[in-house]
Amino acid sequence: MDELERTRREIHRELARPGERPAASTAITRRTFLHRSLLAGAAAGAATYGWFPLVNTLDVAVAQQQTFKFAWVSDTHLYPKDVNTRFVDKAVRAFKEVQAMSPPADFLIFGGDLAQLGDPVELDLGADILKEVKIRKVFIPGEHDWYLDMGKKWEALFGTSPWSFDHKGVRFIGLDTVSRGPDYWTAKKMTPRQRMAHMSALDGSVAGAWAGVGRDQLQWLSTTLSSWPKDRPVVVFSHNPLYEYYPPWNFWVRDWREVHEILKPYTSVTNVHGHTHQVLYNEIGTMRSIGMLATSWPWPYAPDGVPVLTRPMVRVDPGDPFDGVGWGRLTAGGPRIENEYVMWRKDVFAEAAVDAGTGDNVNQVLQPRIADREWPFYGEHK
Amino acid sequence: MNAGPGVAPEKGAGGMHRTRQALVALGGAAVLLAAVGVGGERALAHKERHTPEQLKAFEEVFIEQVKLGDLLFHGDPDAEKRMNTQLSRTGMACAMCHPFASDTHPHEFPKFQEQMNRFATLRDMINWCIEKPNEGVALSADSDAMKALEAYIVWSNRGSKLDAGRH
Repeated sequence: MDELERTRREIHRELARPGERPAASTAITRRTFLHRSLLAGAAAGAATYGWFPLVNTLDVAVAQQQTFKFAWVSDTHLYPKDVNTRFVDKAVRAFKEVQAMSPPADFLIFGGDLAQLGDPVELDLGADILKEVKIRKVFIPGEHDWYLDMGKKWEALFGTSPWSFDHKGVRFIGLDTVSRGPDYWTAKKMTPRQRMAHMSALDGSVAGAWAGVGRDQLQWLSTTLSSWPKDRPVVVFSHNPLYEYYPPWNFWVRDWREVHEILKPYTSVTNVHGHTHQVLYNEIGTMRSIGMLATSWPWPYAPDGVPVLTRPMVRVDPGDPFDGVGWGRLTAGGPRIENEYVMWRKDVFAEAAVDAGTGDNVNQVLQPRIADREWPFYGEHK
Repeated sequence: MNAGPGVAPEKGAGGMHRTRQALVALGGAAVLLAAVGVGGERALAHKERHTPEQLKAFEEVFIEQVKLGDLLFHGDPDAEKRMNTQLSRTGMACAMCHPFASDTHPHEFPKFQEQMNRFATLRDMINWCIEKPNEGVALSADSDAMKALEAYIVWSNRGSKLDAGRH
């Protein structure tokens, strides 16, 4: 057992005490499990993934039996139109589909990485195509939106984070997990474009552990939740996952343990996050976590750390830009909310390892990249 | 050698200019120079015991290509200009779908490749990605840029279990 695995087990022991599970109010329904398994015609195959593979169906108790729906779109990674219209086309498609929801969603949460390089042209383009969506819109930033001008343009267009609001018995919280990265640019006298270039490389080694909530925001979170009953639903939106999945790609927030300390007393917490561009599901302590799709492109599953509760998405066709991407629709059913991946293909989940994004990585061992480890750096153009 | 500006080959010289400098500096270089093909003479190997310096030089030849491949894989325009390549016209770089060169599976080639509907090598797959998703210009299979990309991909996946033919 390696050090990482030992650490993960220790964390699990600490945070998931014997018998402790997320509150029943966020349980996945057997009805949906059976329904989907029968649809796939492979209940036995699905069962091999365990009881919690149905990450596309999450039920959250809603006070007073009120029902509503909301939509998630993130990771559009827009380039200026003269560079690439492919990502624009997919973002437009997602926004049109959100607007066409019937009955309409109560709001859209945009989960960050609207732009690819934080360029004002890209952010303005995003703001323009977001006009397609007429319902209420709330925003949290991604690192691609931030590190060219340190969030100035983003905040001018979409406001500041963190924020919270209560809606039909649920407390919604939007965190900023991107702006508190360590300063890797001042000492090396990087230009804003150089700073952004390093931030935009997922597998770069220069920007380091930039994903974090930060002491000040942790305090804000604690204060904001203090007025909320501990058995009432809380939904936390974040760009990065609020647990440790794969730190080298910032598939985490570095201070996730502190986040969990604050959330631990609340029995119905759901984290909805972007950044990972893939189907993901996890439970830690009393918190459930759902990773959402990008509209731009899917990331491969990391070489390790994929939560065992995740039922992996299919391997997608790299020749089809519309494959393996999409958005998220959280719809109400009776007293509950159901989360559904809107992936623009027939099958979302793999029924067999040979078709799975994780099963594809058998026998794969990876090393971090090498060309950006020394100064001066290459790759600072992007 | 380091990862500074000198890492990538000088313009028009491939990777060999700096490589030669490094090897000449080792002294007793006649055999080594032959090994890198200077003057078109037949390369000789294993006629004398290897020195640590020689092994280091061999390693540097390899790592220089890995670093160049890393830059090309991450869409570095200077490296592309130097190597006279156009690996993408969409703004996408290889690494945007393959961080750490993941999901490239060099250890599974050669194999039947579904997208091409034929038996394929890693170099065939690299060219497919350049031409289809990236809408770039395919490389000659034995070009310096292709060798560098292959070097980076294989180096990134070192330690993976050789498993040719696996889908």
